Amino acid sequence: MELKQLNVLLADDDIDDCNFFKKALNDLPLPTDLTTVHDGEALMQMLNNETGMLPHVIFLDINMPRKNGFECLAELKQSDRLKDVPVIMFSTSNSRDAMNSLFKTGADVYIRKPGNFEQLKELIHHALPMATEKVFSNSQIKYILNA
Amino acid sequence: MAKTKSPDVDELTIIRKELALQTEKNETLVAELLVARKELVFQKEEKGKRAAELGIANIELAFQDEEKGKRAAELGIANIELAFQDKEKGKRAAELGIANKELAFQDEEKGKRAAELGIANKELVFQDGEKEKRAAELGIANKELVFQNDEKEKRAAELGIANKELLFQNNEKEKRAAELIIANKELVFQNEEKEKRAAELIIANKELVFQNDEKEKRAAELGIANKELAFQNDEKEKRAAELIVANKELAFQNDDKEKRVTEKEKRAAELIIANKELAFQNEEKEKRAAELIIANKELAFQNEEKEKRAAELGIANKELAFQNEEKEKRAAELIIANKELAFQNEEKEKRAAELIIANKELLAFTYISSHDLQEPLRKIQTFVTVILDNEHKNLSENGKYNFQRMQLAAGRMQQLIEDLLAFSRINTTEHEFEKTDLGGIIEEIKVELKDTMQEKHATVEVLELCPANIIAFQFRQLLYNLISNAIKFSQPGIPSKIVIKCAVAKGSQLNNSKLSAEKNYCHITVSDNGIGFEPHFSERIFGVFQKLHSKEVYAGTGIGLAIVKKIVENHNGIITATSELNKGATFDIYIPAG
Repeated sequence: MELKQLNVLLADDDIDDCNFFKKALNDLPLPTDLTTVHDGEALMQMLNNETGMLPHVIFLDINMPRKNGFECLAELKQSDRLKDVPVIMFSTSNSRDAMNSLFKTGADVYIRKPGNFEQLKELIHHALPMATEKVFSNSQIKYILNA
Repeated sequence: MAKTKSPDVDELTIIRKELALQTEKNETLVAELLVARKELVFQKEEKGKRAAELGIANIELAFQDEEKGKRAAELGIANIELAFQDKEKGKRAAELGIANKELAFQDEEKGKRAAELGIANKELVFQDGEKEKRAAELGIANKELVFQNDEKEKRAAELGIANKELLFQNNEKEKRAAELIIANKELVFQNEEKEKRAAELIIANKELVFQNDEKEKRAAELGIANKELAFQNDEKEKRAAELIVANKELAFQNDDKEKRVTEKEKRAAELIIANKELAFQNEEKEKRAAELIIANKELAFQNEEKEKRAAELGIANKELAFQNEEKEKRAAELIIANKELAFQNEEKEKRAAELIIANKELLAFTYISSHDLQEPLRKIQTFVTVILDNEHKNLSENGKYNFQRMQLAAGRMQQLIEDLLAFSRINTTEHEFEKTDLGGIIEEIKVELKDTMQEKHATVEVLELCPANIIAFQFRQLLYNLISNAIKFSQPGIPSKIVIKCAVAKGSQLNNSKLSAEKNYCHITVSDNGIGFEPHFSERIFGVFQKLHSKEVYAGTGIGLAIVKKIVENHNGIITATSELNKGATFDIYIPAG
């Protein structure tokens, strides 16, 4: 399916990472519109506002103030309204236990934040179609993207 | 010279040839003339065109002439201006002459310095390359170390827990082993006792069987004796009847034989006495026979009872034999269990030894963290400051921003390493408790935080104090973290006010269900008037890396309160936090009053 514009929602408390993400997304040959929130509570407040449009995909950091990525993911997947929005976990951690637990809860893709901007771009470029196509194929396969 | 033809003929021939040649030449010339004529016609046409162009050019030139007249006038004015400027330039030329000499000298100097800078630049470019490589390597090494830190802390925590668990299990197993040894001895003793009792019962049984036999014999004898007595009785009754007959006979004979009266009367009297005696004996024997019947019945009853008891004893014997077997089985099982425990003990000792080695490795790791891990980080920080200082002019605004963010990130990592080290040091519990005056500790902290307190107009008020049984240096860290937190999270524009209280009270008097009612606790309260937090975060704030605010708003690693909680737990205490948003926060600490 051709999307005119992909609405991307990023939840990450780290300003540098948010800036990197925004720059990477701008550099990609995809028409995207990025919204950013800086903690889990703000994310859930925004998504639970029934009048607002749902994003096409959510990039979710794990380590955030007030409500972390695990809690947000669990809440998302328990909501009939939100459970089908693809969630790409986006974290510095490379803990396998954490990844397995996140996939069990319903995360679609896991990106480990790389230490290289070009790699960041590639990873986002790679992950976006994987997550958005999942909406239509309902694939059970989980992906870990590691630079 | 020999000639065959006349010279005239030869000449004519030559002339003819000459003519023929000229004719050819003439023809060639005519052809060339035709070409030249065509060329001329073309050139004429071209000249016509050019003449027309020249006409236009003439008009243009006339216009240009006019323009030049105007410009000549302007130039007249400009000439006057130039004459003036010439004078000025003469003056300035003189000045420039001087300046030129100066510049020539400076040029030479700059040439020299440029050469030097060229060399230095190459060197710097080379060094920059090297530094980028090393910075990249350091970045990678940093990530790896951070990951290893996480992993090792997890393992350390797991090993710590496993250590405690093993120690506890060892103790439990030693207790159980000791109990089993006691139980074994007890069983052996009981076995012996039961064997003794079984032996006694066997003897008692035999005795009873023997007594039974004896009593049956006696009963049989009594039966025979009874029959004998009955027979004697019959015999005596017969003899009494005979005696009566004899008496009558004698009385008759008495009548007849008066001589023998006296003798016979005597004998009669004797017989009467003997009769009475026999009657009496009869009665006695009947009584005894009755008694024997009763005794017989009694013996029969006792026999039955003894048979019953013998049967019971037989069952009891079998039961005891069964119990004996069971106990032997259990003793065998206990021996196996004992061996198993001994083996497990050995295994656990081995693992304990391994844990000791692992602990030593962790200590080495802590040292690495405190030194080696910080070294590359410090270098990154130093390089950033060098670049920001020296290359400030060469960097774009974006470049400067990126370097500043790099500096912030490196500073944050330094803080994380320091905080994690502080957190891991709290793990080691080999510290002595001592009665300590909290007032002294608080004064020290106030001195240390003096600058921050002045900046935020903060005050620390100590309302009540009691000596507390604590690990002094850990409690100092605890109070430091709480007080500096209170100052950090103060409400903007409102002076931070921190109140500390300390009092001893019974658990039943304190408002916390986790405390033992009968125990005495040292209750320490640290409250502030800062921004506080929503009540539902009151547990979460004690978690490692848990933060309620972005680091852009309130810097910090989220370890401070985790350290506080760990220290309280090291003191076997409880800590709670109570707050509402923008209404200050209160931390209640309860530690056993020793």
